[in-house]
Amino acid sequence: MTLAALPDPSATGDIFVAFLSIVFEGAPYILLGTLLSGMIDAFLPARLLERVLPKSRVISTFLAGFLGLVFPVCECAIVPVIRRLVQKGLPVSCAVTYMLSAPIVNPIVAISTLTAFKEFQNWSWDTPGNATMTIARLSLGYVVAVIVGLIFIRLKPSQILREKIAAQIDTANAAAETGHAAPKASFNGKLVHAMRTAMRDFLDTGMYFAIGVVITSVFNTRVDQAILDTIAQSDVLALPCIMGLAMVLSLCSTSDAFIAAPMASFSMAAKLAFLVFGPMMDIKLLFMYSGVFKRKVVLGFLIGLFVLIGGLAVPWMNLIQSLATK
Amino acid sequence: MSGTRTLLHLLSVATLLLWGGVMLFFHVTGRIMAYLPPDGIFRPMVLAAGIGLGVLALFNLLTMNAEDIGCEGHDHSHDDHDHDHGQAHKEGCCGHDHSHEPKHEHSHKEGGCGHDHSHDHDHSKCGHDHSHDHEHAHGCCDHDHSHEDHGHTHGILEESGWTGRLVALFILIVPLSLAAVLTPDRYSPSAVMNKGLYNPNYADTSRAEQFSLKNKTPTAPTAKRGEPAVTPTSLPPATIAAAPSTDSKAPPIPGTPPPPTKPGEPPNAANAPKPPVEAKSYGTFSLEDLKKQVPQNKEGHFLLEVPEIYYTGGDLEVQKVLTGQMVETTAQVLPEKVNNTDGHRMRIFRMLVQCCAADARPFSVPIDFGKKAPEFKDMTWVKVTGKISYKKEGDQTVPLLEVTKVEETTAPDNAMIY
Repeated sequence: MTLAALPDPSATGDIFVAFLSIVFEGAPYILLGTLLSGMIDAFLPARLLERVLPKSRVISTFLAGFLGLVFPVCECAIVPVIRRLVQKGLPVSCAVTYMLSAPIVNPIVAISTLTAFKEFQNWSWDTPGNATMTIARLSLGYVVAVIVGLIFIRLKPSQILREKIAAQIDTANAAAETGHAAPKASFNGKLVHAMRTAMRDFLDTGMYFAIGVVITSVFNTRVDQAILDTIAQSDVLALPCIMGLAMVLSLCSTSDAFIAAPMASFSMAAKLAFLVFGPMMDIKLLFMYSGVFKRKVVLGFLIGLFVLIGGLAVPWMNLIQSLATK
Repeated sequence: MSGTRTLLHLLSVATLLLWGGVMLFFHVTGRIMAYLPPDGIFRPMVLAAGIGLGVLALFNLLTMNAEDIGCEGHDHSHDDHDHDHGQAHKEGCCGHDHSHEPKHEHSHKEGGCGHDHSHDHDHSKCGHDHSHDHEHAHGCCDHDHSHEDHGHTHGILEESGWTGRLVALFILIVPLSLAAVLTPDRYSPSAVMNKGLYNPNYADTSRAEQFSLKNKTPTAPTAKRGEPAVTPTSLPPATIAAAPSTDSKAPPIPGTPPPPTKPGEPPNAANAPKPPVEAKSYGTFSLEDLKKQVPQNKEGHFLLEVPEIYYTGGDLEVQKVLTGQMVETTAQVLPEKVNNTDGHRMRIFRMLVQCCAADARPFSVPIDFGKKAPEFKDMTWVKVTGKISYKKEGDQTVPLLEVTKVEETTAPDNAMIY
């Protein structure tokens, strides 16, 4: 490797290295998400979701929490997809539940968590409870996502989403009510539309992503992580601290378990909080969410998820551990 | 197609090409190896995304003048409608498609937010949310206003004012370009320190498996015991544990499962509940095992990587074998700041990456010269030869290299360990 041509390492250089590595890791998934989003926009018939989903929003919200098992995506890919699905008539409660659960309740994350916490060795069909962290993570992720989804169940899209996005749902509904049939657009026309949408979505999502990654890269390289270790010793501060870390590190949900596992100073419950909170909320997501949701809703996500996961992590871990020892 | 819209379309295409281009460049030149692990899905994803973004950009470039769906059959040269769309809305029958950016473009620019659209939707916030003004179904139009064609967003570039557009383009283009051009592909000493150089946790088990000296060839230790490897469940655990412990002088291994016949015996019962047993459950570990699993150089020194030495700090059995052995390793060097009042020590480290360079953490061990440590420029790559010892420092066992020889060397191909 020839390093001669490269600039010398420096404080800003560190930020660039971290920035590029997160972009390289995350951008492919954003592209995947936006291509999917474009396809959904162009090819998914608008009322299909309405017809397919159960009439009861409560039931469909509970179901939405499992969608990640079918469409495993990480949190970077989910944001553009969600925005499109809502416009296609997915109830916001389902959308929010899917958005929060998919980056956790999905097979890739289950495998990476099993691997990172060395739970493969202990695990068998006879003793599934030994995969404590994996079970705790997926179940708590599901529960939190459904709770948040249910909170949104009575709210209208216009109360939650940014106006431009909510307005498009109104448009779709109005059009549906007037009974206009979808145009018989050619496949080529739809493809052009899908690709244009994908391009716009990539730039939209990419912009928020870039802001988040810049901030994360600064924290990641310029702030001494040892500060966290000292705080971790405190019972009171450990949970908020590790969730703050999840926020700042903005890790991909497919890989965060590998970061959490070595944090020896933190308890299992604290690591659980890290692994559930991180995929639902972090700096890059904060910006990506604000491209879809109203500002106060994003703030609500931030505070609500922080309190909810912070409050549930310890009892949940105890519960799962007590089940596991049986 | 209006001038503004064409310009924005081209800018969008260019931005995609930039993102795709940076990804392809780093992949093709191999510099990606400083950022992402070689195995796993991440590097191929960068290549795929680089190509994908290029294809997406070129597709959009080539179809720039193609009609979007739902717009077919309508007249698209609407630039002149920009000024009277308010009227058109009132009249209800617009007779043309409102989903097109050119009009929005112009209305935003020229009309700002001052004009009244007389809709019952909330347009009170100015500036950024006018794109939907035009998308309402008008009910009486004789062409299709359905969701298919009107439901799409126009993206941040299309619906913002020029300030917003410039900010968005700035954010999309500048950090990535700067980073791509100015990245040193490696961290500075301060980043390595911030990432926990002086806070090692040698008892950590998270990736101990990967670097455990017992784990290099999983069949080797079991081969000594013969059949248990094939049918491990058929034999009581006591057989596996007991057989090798007789041929080595090692005392009873902590973490060995207690013999099933005497489950209540106090000493074993105390050991049994410890969770990280599986890390030590390969049976005993002897010098023969070490020789079998770790390559040696001409002088018979074991060639170990720093993370391998690091993780021995959490494994008593390996420590017993390794203590006093000569070891050679290649790593980067930084000054030691803990337990180094006499200045005899330095710290060598390797960066270990899970998924991307952002999560790289230094795995380090102190090296002791027994006299004043020589001067090395920070981050210099050195080849260190020394004798391994273990010191109880603070609340952990610290693996330490007592240096017999140290020399500057070149960086290995993979500066990061994955």
